[in-house]
Amino acid sequence: MKFIMSLIAAALVASPVIAAPDGAKLFAEKTCNACHGPKGDKPLMPNYPKIAGQNAAYTEQQMKDIKSGARNNGQTAAMKGVMHLVNDEEIKAISEYLVKLK
Amino acid sequence: MKTSLLLIGLLSAGIAFAGPPAPKHGGIESKDYKWNADEGEKSEALKLKGDKKRGEEAYEVCGACHLPSGAGRPDGTFPQLAGQHTTVLIKQMADIRAGTRDNPTMYPFAATLTDPQELADAAAYIESLCIPIEHGKYEGADAATQVAKGKELYEKQCLECHGKNGEGVKDKFYPVIAGQHYKYLLRQMTEIRDGHRRNANPDMVKIIKPYTNDQLVAISAYQSSLVMPGNMCKPKAGKKK
Repeated sequence: MKFIMSLIAAALVASPVIAAPDGAKLFAEKTCNACHGPKGDKPLMPNYPKIAGQNAAYTEQQMKDIKSGARNNGQTAAMKGVMHLVNDEEIKAISEYLVKLK
Repeated sequence: MKTSLLLIGLLSAGIAFAGPPAPKHGGIESKDYKWNADEGEKSEALKLKGDKKRGEEAYEVCGACHLPSGAGRPDGTFPQLAGQHTTVLIKQMADIRAGTRDNPTMYPFAATLTDPQELADAAAYIESLCIPIEHGKYEGADAATQVAKGKELYEKQCLECHGKNGEGVKDKFYPVIAGQHYKYLLRQMTEIRDGHRRNANPDMVKIIKPYTNDQLVAISAYQSSLVMPGNMCKPKAGKKK
């Protein structure tokens, strides 16, 4: 019981400082790598974008628009199938990871 | 060789080079639809002996979404594949590639398989994997009721083809459904009922047509509780619950 209490306490103390999601990890876990390449620079199909180094505000907006359906042209049908795997916070983290890639 | 095969494939399909979206081939919506017609690379791949070792390499790209274990995702985005019949795997991949099963996310991957041999290899490898014991199940508070209700419905009409333990029938292309994610099962059954799975078996469509959404929930809940003795992965030793 004591142990559980201290676990809860630890969790409460720790929760405000939980680190922002890890963009690199998300990029692989959420299947982005499958189509865009492990480093975002080798897309599976020639008409899929290279996204390494793309500016974060642009990537973030495109992901949100594809997810919401506001953007539904081009190859978005392929991308839309996986966009429910990420939330806004994760989209931001992935975007910030991508901008750092070359 | 790879390039020329790809080119031939693209030319014969009548589409421009590297031009997704996928080709659209007549499916269940067209009058002359013949389910599982004996044609194309599916038939070729089915005749070949798959090589597990080469299949493991071919599977690498699949693993990004379906995971190296083949387990897919409990949210139903990607199906559990491990232990699936090679016949089913080959047919579904060939159908996606030929445009009778619409799946824009999967299409480009199906398209990267170069020839029937690679299809047969990947399928042989996937079939040899053990079915993960932990997967997406129905998680509502009424799970026991749903599973019981689903069992009754399943035994009435589904069992005949999909088997007592969800083992399907390999040479009839009936899939293994034991170990499959609840949400995937529900999504596919709904799509088959509503005519969106264009490569569906018309016999299945006929049977599933009268079922309500609630009934499909119950059936999926039961199906995802099925286990196939002998095909499931062994629990990891020393793993704590």
